[in-house]
Amino acid sequence: MARRKSDRMQQIERMALYPLDWLEERSGLIGGVRYFLFRKVPGDTSWWHTLGSATLTAFLVQLATGVILAMYYKPDVNSAHESVQHITNDVWAGWLVRGMHRWGASVFIILMFMHMGRVFLFGAYKYPRELNWIVGVLLLATGLFEGLTGYLLPYDQTAYWATVVAININGTAPFVGPFLASLLRGGAEIGPDTLARFYSLHMLLVPGALLGLIGLHLYLVVRLGVSSPPWSPEAAGGQPEPEPPPARSGLVQPRPRAGVRGRPE
Amino acid sequence: MSALDDRRAGFQRYKADVKSRGKPFYPYAMFHDTVMSLVVVVVIVLLAVVWKYGLFGNHVLGTVLGDKADPGTHSFVPRPDWYFYFLFYLLRIFKWPESVILATVGIPTICLILLLVLPFFDLRMERRISRRPVAVVAAALTIVAMGTLTYKGATAQEAIASEVKAAIPSWEKKQGFEGNQEAIAGANLFAESGCTNCHTYLGTGSSNLGAPDLSAEGAKNKGIQFQISHLECPSCVNPGSPMPSFKDLGKDNLHKLATFLEASKGG
Amino acid sequence: MDDPRGDMERHESPPSLWPVGAIGAALVAVCGFLWARDVVRGGRATTVATAPPLEEGRAPGAPPIPADKGEAAMPEPAPGERFPRNVFLENATLGLGAIIGGVVTLPVIGFAVMPAFLKQHSHEVDLGPISNFQEGQYVVATFLREPSQGEVSRRTAFIRNNGLLHGKPSFTCISNRCAHLGCPVQPGGPTFDDKSKTVKTPSGQVSLIPSLPAAGFICPCHGGTYDQEGNRIAGPPVRGLDRFEFWIRNGNLILGNTYSVAQVTGTGANAEIKRYTLTGPGQHVDGIESWLYPLQPPH
Repeated sequence: MARRKSDRMQQIERMALYPLDWLEERSGLIGGVRYFLFRKVPGDTSWWHTLGSATLTAFLVQLATGVILAMYYKPDVNSAHESVQHITNDVWAGWLVRGMHRWGASVFIILMFMHMGRVFLFGAYKYPRELNWIVGVLLLATGLFEGLTGYLLPYDQTAYWATVVAININGTAPFVGPFLASLLRGGAEIGPDTLARFYSLHMLLVPGALLGLIGLHLYLVVRLGVSSPPWSPEAAGGQPEPEPPPARSGLVQPRPRAGVRGRPE
Repeated sequence: MSALDDRRAGFQRYKADVKSRGKPFYPYAMFHDTVMSLVVVVVIVLLAVVWKYGLFGNHVLGTVLGDKADPGTHSFVPRPDWYFYFLFYLLRIFKWPESVILATVGIPTICLILLLVLPFFDLRMERRISRRPVAVVAAALTIVAMGTLTYKGATAQEAIASEVKAAIPSWEKKQGFEGNQEAIAGANLFAESGCTNCHTYLGTGSSNLGAPDLSAEGAKNKGIQFQISHLECPSCVNPGSPMPSFKDLGKDNLHKLATFLEASKGG
Repeated sequence: MDDPRGDMERHESPPSLWPVGAIGAALVAVCGFLWARDVVRGGRATTVATAPPLEEGRAPGAPPIPADKGEAAMPEPAPGERFPRNVFLENATLGLGAIIGGVVTLPVIGFAVMPAFLKQHSHEVDLGPISNFQEGQYVVATFLREPSQGEVSRRTAFIRNNGLLHGKPSFTCISNRCAHLGCPVQPGGPTFDDKSKTVKTPSGQVSLIPSLPAAGFICPCHGGTYDQEGNRIAGPPVRGLDRFEFWIRNGNLILGNTYSVAQVTGTGANAEIKRYTLTGPGQHVDGIESWLYPLQPPH
C-alpha cells in the first residue's frame, strides 16, 4: 500500500468519492451501509449461518420473477389458464420465468424450514433473540400462505381442487371457520371473484406482509448480532480471549491486515 | 431475577467475544452467503429446466400445466403442492368423522403455537447441542414425522378412472388373462366402479381405509362364488369391513368382477 | 358517415369558466387576507404555545440508530426538558388522525369483506323434461349453476327418479361435493358415457350421463364412502352428502338451493330427510360437534 499519494491522485479520488460524500452528508445512508457491511460477526460463523441469506435470495428470486409474470398473467377465470399457457409456450423464456417462480417457491419454503431447524439446534432463539424467532415463525406461516394463494393461479384442475380442499380445511376451524372460508372465497361458492381475490392476496397483501416481516427480521439480526455456533467457546460460557488465536491465512481466519479489520480509515 | 441477570451477563459475554474475536461481516461471512446464494439460484434454474424438459426423458417434476379447471368434474383427484403433503397425508390418517378437525386445524394450530411460545418455555441459556437432549430428540422426532408424512403423501397414488382403465391392457399381460373376455369386462368394471379409490392393483389406485392390495387376490383361490358373495355383502363375510355392497351391479356384472379377481394371480 | 369530431362539437356546449374564476378569486382573497395580516402584525409573533410536540415517538434514553458517522439532524431533548404542550392540540391531532384512518380504512375493509357475507340470491337450474330421467336409475347431471358466471359455476349432481309419491314425481338430487373437504365424489359403479345426453334448457346446456352407483358414492381424496342415499358409511366425512331442493315446472325438473343433511332414513321416495342450512364440508350439523359451528354466513 502506497502511503504517499500524489496530489493528483488524491484529487481524482476526492472527485470520484464526491457523490458518496454528498449522499452521506445529506442522508447518512453510506454510514448505515458501512455499518451493516463492516459490523462484526462471531469469528466462528460457518456455512450453517448462510441458510438465512439463502432464504432471502430465494425470496428475491420470487419477487423478481413474480413481477414479470404479473405482466402477462390475466387473473380472470375465463382467461387465466390460457394466459398461463401463453406464458409457458409463447412468451420468450416464459417457461423459464414461470418455472423459476414455481420451483423458487419450493426452494424458499424448504430453506425456511432448514433455517428454522438450524436456529433451533443452535439455540439461537434464546435471550435476547426471542422476538426474532417469533418473527421467523410468522414469516414461515405467511410464506406457506403465500404458497397456498399462488397454487390456484395457474387455474388447472389440480390448482382448483386443491384450493377447494384448502379453503374447506380453513372452514373447519371452530366458530370462525365458516366465515374464514367465505372470506377467502369472496362468497358462498368459489366464483369469478375468488381468483382475483387470491391474485391480489398473492401479489400485494401477503408479499407486503412478508417484506415488512423480513425487514424487521433483518433489523433484529443486525441489532442483536449473529449468534455464535453452539460449539463456540463463548456458548460454553468461557471468557473471551484477549487476543485472537494465531492468525492463519484463509477465509475463515484471515490474517489481520491494516484497513480491513474493523472499519477502513 | 438472577436468571435474567445470568442471561444478560451471557449476552454481554457474547458482545465482548464478538468484539475481541469477531470479524467483519463483509467480506468473510458475506462470501459464504454469496456462494450459498449462487447455489440457490442455480438450483432454482435447474429445477425450472428439468420441469420443462424432464430428466432422461421423464417428467420427474410433474406436468407443467394441467387441463383447465372444471368445477363440475366427477373424476378428478387433487393434490396440494409438496410442502403441504404432510397435511395431505394427515387427512388420510384421520379417517374418523370425529377427528377430522384434529387433522385440519387441530394439529397444525398446535404446532404453530408450540413454535411461537418455544422461546418462553425453553429459558435455559445452554446452547451446546450435547447438553440439550430434549431439544435434540424433539427436533429429530419432528424431522422424522414430517419426512415420513411428506414421503407418504408424495408416494400416495391417485385413482382417476380413465387412467386406471388405460392400465388394463398391461394388467392382461402381467396377469395372463388376455382373451378372457369375462375377466377383461370385470377389469373395466373394477376401474369404473371406484374400487381403486381404496384398493391398489398392480401399482395403481390409492390406498384408503386399510383396504388390501388386490393384485394377487386370485392366488388365494377362494373361488368365484366366494368373491360374488363378498361383493354382495362385504361385512357379512368379513365383519366390520367398511367396504360397501356392490349387489346392485347385478348378477352378470358381479360374475365378471369375480372372474377378474380370481384371474389376478399376482402378475 | 360524418366526421365524428364535427358531430361532437355540434352537440357539446363549451365549458363554463365561471367556477374556475370563482375558486381563483376565493383563493386570492384568503391569501391576500393572510398576507395583509402578517404585514400588519410584523411577521409571525412568538407562537411557542402552539408549536407541535417534537420527537414524541422515541423514548428518551433509547439508543440512536446505529450509523457509522451519521449525525442526527435534530438534537435529542435533554433529560427532563419539556416543551410546553397543548392538550387540545394533542387530542385534536390524534382525533383527526383517527378520523382520517377510519374514513379511509373502514369502507375499504368493508368492500373487501362484506360481499362475502351478503345474502346470495337463490339459484334455479332447469334440467329439462323429467322424461329424460328413467325411473330408478341414477344420472350424473352437469350444469351451470349460474349461467351468467360461466364455467366457474359448473356443478354436478346425482339425480334419481324415484317414481310417484302421492301422485307427484319424486327425485333424489344429491350434490357431488364430499362432506369431508369438498372433493368431487364419484359413483361407485360404471357410468354409461355412450348413453349420455345433452339437453338444451333455459339454463343452458345440461349433460346427463346414466350411471349405476351400485356401491353408492366414493370420494377419491380421502376415501369417504356413501351409500346410494348419500349417507356416510365409511371414511372421514362428518355427515351425508348435501342435497338440492327440487320441483317440477311445466314437466321440467328444476333444481333449487342446496341444503345439508346429517343422515337420511328410508330410501328413494320414502326417504325422511331432516334439512339443515347449507354448511361447509367438514362441519358437523348434528351432535355435540355441531356446537363448534354455531353460526353460518348466509348462503
